[in-house]
Amino acid sequence: MSVVVAPMLIALGTAILTLGIRFAPRVQRAVSVLGAVCYAGAVAVLGLRVVPDTVLAYQLSGWQAPYGITLVADSLSVFMLGIAAIVSLAAIVFSTRFINEIGQSVSYHPLFHFMLVGISGSFLTGDIFNLFVWFEVMLMPSYVLVVFTGGSEQTDAALKYTALNLIGSAVMLLAIGGLYSTTGTLNMADISMRLANAGSEGAAIGDPTPVLGLAALLLAVFALKAGIVPFQFWVPSAYKAAPAPATAMLAGVTKKVGVYAIIRLYFTVFAAGTLPQAIALPGFSGTGFLGFFGPILFVLATASILVGGVAAVSRPDLDGVFAYSSIGQVGFIILPLAVAATVSDPAIRALGIVAALVYSLNHALAKSLLFMLSGSLHEGLGSVKLADLGGLSRAQPLTSGSFFVGALALVGIPPLTGFFGKLLVFDTAGRAMAAGATEAWLALAVALVGAILTIAYMSRAWNRGFWGEPSELIANVRLSPVLLGVVVVLAVLIVALGVGFEPVYTTAEAGADAALDRSGYIDAVLGGEA
Amino acid sequence: MTQFVLAVVLGLLFALGTFLVLRKDLVRVVWGLTIMSQTANVYLVTMGGLTGGVPIISGHGGQGTEVTDPLVQALVLTAIVIGFGTTAFALGLSYRVYQTNETIDLTEVRG
Repeated sequence: MSVVVAPMLIALGTAILTLGIRFAPRVQRAVSVLGAVCYAGAVAVLGLRVVPDTVLAYQLSGWQAPYGITLVADSLSVFMLGIAAIVSLAAIVFSTRFINEIGQSVSYHPLFHFMLVGISGSFLTGDIFNLFVWFEVMLMPSYVLVVFTGGSEQTDAALKYTALNLIGSAVMLLAIGGLYSTTGTLNMADISMRLANAGSEGAAIGDPTPVLGLAALLLAVFALKAGIVPFQFWVPSAYKAAPAPATAMLAGVTKKVGVYAIIRLYFTVFAAGTLPQAIALPGFSGTGFLGFFGPILFVLATASILVGGVAAVSRPDLDGVFAYSSIGQVGFIILPLAVAATVSDPAIRALGIVAALVYSLNHALAKSLLFMLSGSLHEGLGSVKLADLGGLSRAQPLTSGSFFVGALALVGIPPLTGFFGKLLVFDTAGRAMAAGATEAWLALAVALVGAILTIAYMSRAWNRGFWGEPSELIANVRLSPVLLGVVVVLAVLIVALGVGFEPVYTTAEAGADAALDRSGYIDAVLGGEA
Repeated sequence: MTQFVLAVVLGLLFALGTFLVLRKDLVRVVWGLTIMSQTANVYLVTMGGLTGGVPIISGHGGQGTEVTDPLVQALVLTAIVIGFGTTAFALGLSYRVYQTNETIDLTEVRG
């Protein structure tokens, strides 16, 4: 059973160890990288145990659920942990060359691994208050990583990021307190079970309507973590301010924690609830809780795709383009979830979650590639302004090739992972339309506009930054082989996972099934008492 | 009655927190954030119910009294500790803002 906690313990151990051996920088770096490798290994072992349809529950200190805190590993958690493992390994290798010596020896490695502890905890916990605690564990190091280089731009960005997240934490606490008072439990499986029984004789919950309101309040917090409109203010400045590998983690993994929380809580837990009567508002259908969140998620996703896409088209530097693009791309992850929440056909619902998962993986790989590429350019050139670049394709074929792969993955060109992500998003909307949900044409239209915007800002970045005659500065630039190596490996990975897509798809499918298999989840956590 | 008074007080505290967060003086913003998170803690305590005795099992031998929910108090302790850490960080960050910009007026801090 302890394999469930293995990733967390490894990250925690590495964090403490790297804190203890600050005086030996080389050893510290080796331990840090080794920790990330072991983390990936632990996730792989956990994956082999869990995928496709096992749910492992670990009762902390042997306190049985629902009284103790439960950690749950199923295919959905493992898929997300896999993303975290890949990106963090790449980011930590990149960091050993990218972050300056003092920064590394003082605090960078412990911070990085503590953040990984928080991320893993969020993916694994089965207790809603525990989720709050892991969010905080993840956020504290991320505040420090945003302000890491300590300039005035960094302090300003960190201030914005910290203030917004502190308000988010207060709101999350309110929602969780309310949920505890209305449902009488904090265990996610127990909440789900009690919601399903609501209103019946002797049930813990008489009227489930307040739970819906509190769930909606909680959605605002997750949207803030995922950086979707209208909670996106912190994204561009924080991403620009943080050092490149930390940005890769923030964009690639921390954002996905918000996405994961939306899938886990709304599709596994709150989906059990039904309202006493249907909501009489245009766009809302049925009495299920999910039917209520469908249109809301759709509006959030649409706004993110449009705001992110339009803003990315006009940014003057690579970091800005990538930061705004990441708002738009998370919109693409939420869009199939919105469709999945609205339709009632279980097959289409599962397909929507598969689309969101595959797109999450693609975005994590491509965006961390692009941010680290921009970081290594910044180190070599001292600037990533599009006006200062130009001609890179001739001077730096390998760098340019990697950028090309990352950009095409976001645009969605076969055979890259991004193609399947986009295809599944369109497929979800198309099938929903064919199954009678005519409003799904809206989702199709939004996805189409978003795809065109992605092509626009990526080709603009390519034209300005990579084509043309190289200036003297660019022609003579030498990029660090380690930094470049990490970027190239990620590019190769995007191609490899796209060509050999079958296992990715089956794992994502297992993840989607796990998200929708409520009774399996409840059985595993509560030990079959349900 | 207690319920009503607490509800009003919580509402007022949240209003005060929001008011302070919207000031341009950075220290007040941090105070506002602190008040908001502490208000959330007070709210959390009330979620355990307002009636009942101290959650200490007293009077053994079949004389146990109805106690209030101890779980929310454990939750609040956790939340207070987290709030303590984040407040310390936010104050440290404010000092850093003052160092780099020589002002804590948010309208003058360049962003």
